[in-house]
Amino acid sequence: RYVRQLQRLQLLFSPTAADARGAREFVEEAAQDFARQHPDVVLYVSPHSGPGPAPVLRAEYLNGTVRDELIASKTSEEIVQLATKLANQSGLDIIRIRKPFHTDNPSVQGQWHPLTNKPSILTIQGPRLQPQ
Amino acid sequence: TAPPPEKKRWLRAYLELQRLQAPPQRRSEKPNWDYHAEIQAFSHRLQENFALDLLKTAFVNPCYIESEEARRRQLGLDKDAVALQLQDNTGLAERGLRFARAYLAQCFEGAYPELPAKGIEALVNFLTSQELVSYVAQNLSVQDLALCRDFPAPPDVLQRTFLAVIGALLESSGPERTGIFVRDFFIPQLIGKDLFEIWEVVNPMGLLLEELTKRNISAPEPRITRQLGVSTVLPVYFVGLYCDKKILAEGPGETLLAAEEEAARVALRKLYGYTENRRPWDYSKPRQGLAAEKAISSN
Repeated sequence: RYVRQLQRLQLLFSPTAADARGAREFVEEAAQDFARQHPDVVLYVSPHSGPGPAPVLRAEYLNGTVRDELIASKTSEEIVQLATKLANQSGLDIIRIRKPFHTDNPSVQGQWHPLTNKPSILTIQGPRLQPQ
Repeated sequence: TAPPPEKKRWLRAYLELQRLQAPPQRRSEKPNWDYHAEIQAFSHRLQENFALDLLKTAFVNPCYIESEEARRRQLGLDKDAVALQLQDNTGLAERGLRFARAYLAQCFEGAYPELPAKGIEALVNFLTSQELVSYVAQNLSVQDLALCRDFPAPPDVLQRTFLAVIGALLESSGPERTGIFVRDFFIPQLIGKDLFEIWEVVNPMGLLLEELTKRNISAPEPRITRQLGVSTVLPVYFVGLYCDKKILAEGPGETLLAAEEEAARVALRKLYGYTENRRPWDYSKPRQGLAAEKAISSN
C-alpha cells in the first residue's frame, strides 16, 4: 500500500522579519487546510522571536533525510505548492538518475548463454549413431 | 535596534566541529516533537484505524520501564511514585507474532501447495526474522516512536515493537484487516529472493528423491548435457536429470558434483512451483477463513 514518505514538516520563521511575510500568511490561512488534507504529515510551526536565521521549511522523511527549503520572500500559495511537492517526494537524494528504466525481470525465457540453442552431447548424431 | 553581532570568524569552525561531534540523540529529545500527534500521523500513514491507547502501549518496551523506575528511584521518590502506570508490549508482541506466523503460513500453503512444511517454516522464519522486521520498522519510523532504554534501538527491540503494533492492530481492527496489513508489508520482501537463499537445504538430491517417490516417479538419472572448458581452470558442466528418459531439470556447475547438486535444486524449484517465472503474488482478493485459523493458533 502507499505510505507517504514525508514524516514531518517544521516551519521555522520569525514573526517580525520582512521576508517571512509569506510564511506568516501561510500559517494564518493555509496551514490548517494543508494539515487537514495531509493527516499523515505532522506540521510543526515554531516562530523564533527576534532577528534570526532565514525562514526555512524543514522536511524529514522516513529514511532519515532532512531537507531544508528557503521560504524567504515567497507568497503563501508558493509555500503551499512547495509543501505539497515535498509531501509527494520520497526521501531519496536528488541526484542524476542514470537510466530512466528498470526492470525486476530482465529475461522472460531465460537469459542467453553460449550454450542455448546448441545441441547437447546426448543428441549429437555422428555417422555411427544414426537412429534406426 | 542593531542586528545581533554574528559569531566571530575564528569561533565558527569550533562550533561546527562541536555540532558534528555531538552524540546522536533520539528524535524525541530534539526540538519540535509531539508524541500524540506523531502517533496519530503514524496510524494515518499506515491507513489503519488504531485504538490509540493500545498503540501507545505497543510502543512501550520493558527495558524502558526498568530504566525509568531506576531513574526515579535514584532521584529519591517514594515507592508509589516509582511504579509507573505503563503496561508492557510483550503480550501484544506475542499475539502479533503468533498471528503473523499463522497468517503467513496460511498464505504460503495456499499459494505454493507443493511446498513441504519445512520450506514454509523456513520462509515464515525468514519473514519474521530480526533483520527483516527491524528493517521494515526502521523505514516506517517505528524507531522514533518506540520507547526503549538504548539509542539507537537494537534490532530485537524494533522487532518486538513492530510485532506489538501488529498485535494492537489485531485487537483494534480484527483479523482481516491485520491480515491485509501483514500481507502488504511482509510479502513484498520476498521479491527477487530465491527459495534456496532463504531455505538452507543440505542434501537437495535426497530431498528430490523423496519428492519423486511421493509422486511415484522413478529415480533421476544424471547425464552430462553440455560441457565447456574441461581441461581449463574454469570448466562448466551442465548436468541434466532424466526420469524415464525424459528431462526433469538441468543445472550448471563448476565440477560435476556441483552441477548435479544445482540440477537437483532446479528440479526442486520446478516441483515446488517457486521458479523465477512463476506468476507474481496475487494482492487483489483478501484472504477468507482466517478466524478459524486464529482460533486454532491461540489454543
